[in-house]
Amino acid sequence: MLKKTFKRGIHPKQHRGSKRPTQDAPIENYVSDSVVIHMAMNIGTPATPCVKKGDQVKIGQVIGTANGFMSVPVHASISGEVTAVEPIPYLGEGNVTAVTIKNDFYDTWVDDLKPLGSVENVDPALVIPAIRDAGITGMGGASFPTHVKLTFKEGAVCDTIIVNGAECETHLTADHRLMLENSVRIVDGLRAVMRALNVEKGIIAIEDNKPDAIAAMERAAFGRVGVRVQVLKAKYPQGGEKQLITAVTGRQVPAGKLPIDAHVVVLNVGTCAAIADAIIDGKPLVSRICTVTGCVKEPKNLRIPIGTIVEDMIGACGGFSEEPGKIFFGGAMTGIAIPNIQTPTAKSTNGVVVFNEKDAKSLDESACIRCGRCVAACPVGLNPYKIKVAADASDFAAAEKLHVMDCMLCGSCAYMCPARRWLTPSFRFAKDKITAERRAAARKAAAEKGGNDK
Amino acid sequence: MNLRISTAPHIHHPVTTKRLMIYVLLALLPATGVGIYAFGLPALLLIAISCLTAVLCELIWQKAAKKPVRISDCSALVTGLILALNLPANAPWWLAVIGSAFAILLVKQLFGGLGDNFLNPAMAARAVLLASWPVHMTRYVAPTFFSGVDAVTAATPLSTKSAELMDLFLGTIPGCIGEVSKVAILVGLLILLFTRTVTWHIPFTMVASVFVFSFLFGLGNEEEPLMFALYSILSGGVLFGAVFMATDYVTTPMTPVGQMIYAAGIGLIVAVIRNFGAYPEGVTYGILLMNIATPLIDRFLPRKIYGYQKEGKKA
Amino acid sequence: MSEERMSLGKVIKNGIITENPTFRLVLGTCPTLAVTTSAINGLGMGAAATFVLICSNLVISLLRNFIPDKVRIPAFIVVICTFVTMVQLLMQAFVPSLYDALGIFIPLIVVNCIILARAEAFASKNGPVASACDGLGMGMGFTIALVIMGAIRELIGNGSVFGMNVLGNSYEPMLLIVLASGGFLSYGLLLGIFNLIVKKSEEKRKRKEAEAA
Repeated sequence: MLKKTFKRGIHPKQHRGSKRPTQDAPIENYVSDSVVIHMAMNIGTPATPCVKKGDQVKIGQVIGTANGFMSVPVHASISGEVTAVEPIPYLGEGNVTAVTIKNDFYDTWVDDLKPLGSVENVDPALVIPAIRDAGITGMGGASFPTHVKLTFKEGAVCDTIIVNGAECETHLTADHRLMLENSVRIVDGLRAVMRALNVEKGIIAIEDNKPDAIAAMERAAFGRVGVRVQVLKAKYPQGGEKQLITAVTGRQVPAGKLPIDAHVVVLNVGTCAAIADAIIDGKPLVSRICTVTGCVKEPKNLRIPIGTIVEDMIGACGGFSEEPGKIFFGGAMTGIAIPNIQTPTAKSTNGVVVFNEKDAKSLDESACIRCGRCVAACPVGLNPYKIKVAADASDFAAAEKLHVMDCMLCGSCAYMCPARRWLTPSFRFAKDKITAERRAAARKAAAEKGGNDK
Repeated sequence: MNLRISTAPHIHHPVTTKRLMIYVLLALLPATGVGIYAFGLPALLLIAISCLTAVLCELIWQKAAKKPVRISDCSALVTGLILALNLPANAPWWLAVIGSAFAILLVKQLFGGLGDNFLNPAMAARAVLLASWPVHMTRYVAPTFFSGVDAVTAATPLSTKSAELMDLFLGTIPGCIGEVSKVAILVGLLILLFTRTVTWHIPFTMVASVFVFSFLFGLGNEEEPLMFALYSILSGGVLFGAVFMATDYVTTPMTPVGQMIYAAGIGLIVAVIRNFGAYPEGVTYGILLMNIATPLIDRFLPRKIYGYQKEGKKA
Repeated sequence: MSEERMSLGKVIKNGIITENPTFRLVLGTCPTLAVTTSAINGLGMGAAATFVLICSNLVISLLRNFIPDKVRIPAFIVVICTFVTMVQLLMQAFVPSLYDALGIFIPLIVVNCIILARAEAFASKNGPVASACDGLGMGMGFTIALVIMGAIRELIGNGSVFGMNVLGNSYEPMLLIVLASGGFLSYGLLLGIFNLIVKKSEEKRKRKEAEAA
């Protein structure tokens, strides 16, 4: 079959081996003594906790209720007693309210699970509400509420649903293992969404470095009308939503718009499996698969209750093999470094990677030698070296003119830079600044308008 | 436990600035070796003096200007070596000293050091030497290959057109230290391409451009325009310039298309100077002029940015 | 009286160092680049310009209350032209070799921006004595700059200063420095060095003041 891909991008070949320790490690279930579930699991409005200290909760019980459209409920991931409801600092987002549950190890589920039946017979109108009530968010890392993604504005047309099994990030094998071990569930989730949206084409996109996953998914998709597997050439950042759409369909998402403007919806394989669980079993999203790798004694793929503490997961993998220098959630290209091992996981945590002191060492910037590697790498087609100059001079207007807002912070330019310039961090800073400025301007304009009305 | 906090990406490609410079040095090795073999001790001395001066000047400047000393990135060494390879083997030692000092101090450091110079330092220094001491810079000796034959002073082959193509290719003709053997230069090119230090765009476009324009200009004047074009790319500094000097990162455009425009421009200028100008050789000036055009090329060459393609072109 | 002399001294010093027309104001760069191929050329050019500057400043200062504002530039030019013509004829008569070497740049003193700038900025606002002093200071500043540049370029490009062989016969002159591009090069470097010296001395002065305070 013809292998497809997108323009530019990088091949982190030197880190190809990073997936090796875990790619053949079957998913293991792991349940810890306690979990810390915070309420800001999704992009948008955080949920409001609806339990208090001392309450007994069962698996799947709602402990945080959704606040409006851009919000999903949060469920208890283990059964036991609520020992605390208090704000905790979380990954640079300030304080978020978190519920701590102590495990009673009875693993009792809530009584009122409402399965909707098989995906062939499910009422299409019930699928999206069920997805919302199950608390499903994008499992690939961005944690965008899935029901929002599947609710289109008037007049929007969707003709293809792409299931993202690219997993182009380094180190991570969670999606890979899920595709191998739970392939039917993924196809079921995809079919449920196709039925709900009345879409006839479902494409499962997988990179060619996972031949076993391709075979498994092809078996699972066999005979399912409209569902097929598309093989992609392995390249980073193929799993980026926009790059994936271009690779699979040849279409481009217009700047500043959503995938639906290219008539496509992209769902992560984990999200699809969670949708299938919600429709067929009526179970909400309470666990996920997370790759624990790097400097741990036994790198593993763990199925963990959401909210499991990093320290417990490291313990489940035999502890550190070396003195850790840096730990981050996600792959090495876009992962978010965590400040301590008491940090709890979230719905979007697809990996925990431990670096030793040597790998964690931060690098000194040296002068740009204009080698052009960043330009050749940028999947968006930007001039990272120019934006960096503007950002370093705090000239955010110039950075905006150079399309810094189209940068998706994939890290390809910074990865390639021989002078080790901090390109992506600068762009992140510039984007945050510009977004803040735009918000302030919008608020000001709104305030002025309000004043005029009076 | 002390965990570091940093933003992504957490991994980097193993190639650093220093490693790139070492690759360039490695690629220059064959040409340097053949040069020393062909011209003997004087060539070796000249190369050593030039490299030493370049590194010393960089060190002194960075110390004096209280900047971080970065001579270990080898960029000064590359400049010194390329300059030495651009000198005739019997050039006086002080020519190498002045050239290297000029390249590092005036062309490179005064404009901000590595990455900020708008001209190729070695090229600019060569142009200055050529304008200042034209006699020393154009008195080429024939290679001796340690054969014991006395070095004979000869005019540059470009001005007599007496050398055969094969001689040009193998390097048995008079010329600058690094330019003589085209085989060694091509080996260097292979090293550069293999280590992905440079892409094919600049060297191939430049040589092709010299070939095409020489052929066109030769159509009316030469008996065999094709041979003339072939002769043009093998003689003088075209190959050495295309492989080692026109590919200098700092002074070349960033995008492949820009690089091809740049290299084609060099070829045109070289052909024009050789055929219609007062100088027998034009590679230096071709590269310098297009160095100056580089910011313009980078500025005005449009880039296709994701998400901005026209509606009608959608699949 | 002593106070005025002090200020006159300051006016002269202003022209030579603080507001040196060549190195600080970057005025009159055209003759600077063109004629400084040797020290003697620089000196001749400087002297001619100084003469014109002093005389034109003096006359314009005397006439400053009679010249209508709207036609002041043509009036200044007429005055300057007069003196330039005088200089040209004098040089042609007494130093014909220098006259030949400087060529077109002597008549071009008319449009030398230093002279017009001083007429406009100083002579038309100040008394005749102060104006003449300003002309002297500026002229000396210009002359000194030209002689320095000419000497350096002659030394490097010809091995001699004021025509005297300094570096010996074995010295191989750097031809570039007496060519046009060498003019730009040496001018740029001298500008940088002069500015560096001024900056350093100002820093020193400020530090001293801070210490005193």
